[in-house]
Amino acid sequence: MAPIEAWGLAGLLLLTAGFCLLQRHLWRACLGLVAFALLMALAWLLLGAPWLALAEALLGALLTGGTLLWTLRGRGALPRLAPVDETPQRARSTAPLRWLLILSWLGLAGIALIWLLGVDALTPPASATTLLAATGVLIMGLGLWAFTIQRHLLRRLLAFNLLGSGVFLLLAGLAGPVAEVRGLILVGLVVALLGSILGAVLLLRLHAQAGQITLSGASPAGSGSGP
Amino acid sequence: MSPLPLHLLWLLLAPLALGLLAWASPPRHSGLVLLVVLPLPLMALWLLLGIEAGPMAGRLTLGPLTLHWRLDGLAALLGLLTQLLLLASALYAVGYARATILGRRAYAWLWPLLGGLGLGLGLIWIAADLLLLYVGLELMGLCAVGMMLLPGSAEALSAGLRYLLFALVGSLTWLLGIALLLGAWGRLDLAGLGAVAQPDPVTQIAVALLASGLLLKAAIVPLHSWLAPVHGSAWTPVSAIHGALVVKASFFILLLLWRLLLPEAIAGAWALGVLGSLAVLWGGVQACRAAGLKQLVAWSTIGQLGYLMLAFPLLAGTSAGVAAMAWQATWVQLAGHALAKAAMFMAAGNLLLSTGAQRLEGLTGTSRRLPLSLMTFGLAAVTIMGLPPSAGFTAKWLWLQASLAAGQWPWVLVLALGTLLSAAYVFRVLRCSFVEDVPEPVFRELPLAMELIALALALAAIGLGLAAAWPLAALAPAGLP
Repeated sequence: MAPIEAWGLAGLLLLTAGFCLLQRHLWRACLGLVAFALLMALAWLLLGAPWLALAEALLGALLTGGTLLWTLRGRGALPRLAPVDETPQRARSTAPLRWLLILSWLGLAGIALIWLLGVDALTPPASATTLLAATGVLIMGLGLWAFTIQRHLLRRLLAFNLLGSGVFLLLAGLAGPVAEVRGLILVGLVVALLGSILGAVLLLRLHAQAGQITLSGASPAGSGSGP
Repeated sequence: MSPLPLHLLWLLLAPLALGLLAWASPPRHSGLVLLVVLPLPLMALWLLLGIEAGPMAGRLTLGPLTLHWRLDGLAALLGLLTQLLLLASALYAVGYARATILGRRAYAWLWPLLGGLGLGLGLIWIAADLLLLYVGLELMGLCAVGMMLLPGSAEALSAGLRYLLFALVGSLTWLLGIALLLGAWGRLDLAGLGAVAQPDPVTQIAVALLASGLLLKAAIVPLHSWLAPVHGSAWTPVSAIHGALVVKASFFILLLLWRLLLPEAIAGAWALGVLGSLAVLWGGVQACRAAGLKQLVAWSTIGQLGYLMLAFPLLAGTSAGVAAMAWQATWVQLAGHALAKAAMFMAAGNLLLSTGAQRLEGLTGTSRRLPLSLMTFGLAAVTIMGLPPSAGFTAKWLWLQASLAAGQWPWVLVLALGTLLSAAYVFRVLRCSFVEDVPEPVFRELPLAMELIALALALAAIGLGLAAAWPLAALAPAGLP
């Protein structure tokens, strides 16, 4: 059995991820992301990678979380986003495609995981790394589900960040915190940060220009052309 | 095994350094840009000439991390192509900024993004491990998204956001694939991975994930939906470099990894070939239906990228002669299309800029008033359609021979249909521009440099077909195992 603190951490990670993705109140959802990133830092500490924990706290919690919170605060002349996401979820007609995507992603990752770790991976995981890899798969599932079903761009950015964290957990759980893994995760954190900043700035400008907070109205014909 | 030689390091970093410099004071004269940037392609050419002595390789140690790189004939050739297109794009951008009203800050931001794109592409060409490839891919992707957003209109913003989300998810798919490879084989360097990796289910799943991430970034059907809207609103020099190189870098990585990890996976290779065929047909049909000139060129990019995917079935499990022909065809097509597509985007941009039109019908009367731009468009189209003596013809000829020699006749049909479709959409443009029976429209004068750069690129694409033997000689020994 994995140590009790690993089980606790895995549970907390899943709970925070679920909270962050389901919460329609955007400010709370972003705070959820900050809490999730801090828990991720704890997970890296548990795996014995203190520098990675520091990078996660700095890049993930402080900068990415801070950027998204700053987006909600609004700035200067740009109008603020509404505090609560009122957009409806995607239509049921696209559901089969969505589930195909989610299930094929998770199925591929799951098969590969079982192949690599043996059938024992299906029983309660024996070590902290295996447990975190399994948690990573579940978080990827949550993130993918939210990314495909939600329309609000800020919430899709949150879902992207969680999806990325799930991949990092799987990566570290499979290969252990060796130098290559730390390098990959560091690059991944920087990319997630830059992507979040770019997405948040764009969202604010799109909102200011055309009043849009989703992509759905943006057909190639340019129905979103503002005044 | 040596650390990165200084001249290679300089060639990698100089675009970014120059970009930052230009960010501080955006250039207004193309002569100055030419003078400052010209050493870069010359250095790349010198590297390519020096490569005949044999490929270079080495490693770079950063703390506990070791990064691997190698420079062979192909990488040097692509490096030269990159530097040439960066130069052309930068020169064109200076003229473009004078001919149109661009936001001051947006124009300044173009330069560091262009430089970052150059660095990212350079890293991709020379990378010999997955971490370095990841860094290059992400740097290139983020810079490309940034450049697409510069116009700042609502269409550009929402098309750019869509592109951003696609690119970010694509990079996570890619990272998941790497995670599986690292978990299974414990290493990231390509040479070591090629030696230890077996084509077992984990490798297959990992390559499938890597492939879907890369296909998303390369806009291969059915993952192409972001490409046409993004080009519709982007600046012309940005469209040119994006259509020419950015989408092809993902293809380059995919081909590299596929041949390394699953060289014998024939079913998967055929699946990729079928996707490519669909891209050729669908891109061609959509280009024939497109209302705007830039959309037409963008859809034609999707179709032309499809041809490249034919490399997979023709390289997997075929005889050495077939593989050699397909290998050469792939790189001739990539280089020829890069030059021709940049020229085509620039010529299209010139036509749109001076007529002020967006739709094809607005091109009436251009044959008499803007003969140079229209001729450039036509010359670029010669390569796109694959007429002799262009690089497009050489590539299609080699593919045709390879398909027949391997007995893979479906690709012959795809090549024929693709050529017909591309002829159809090119003649749509020409037909519109030869219409004369409308009131005399108002044309704007453009700087001559903008027309000449496009013309030079279009001629280079045709010249590549005439002088294909030289680059092919640089490719042959290092390319095939």
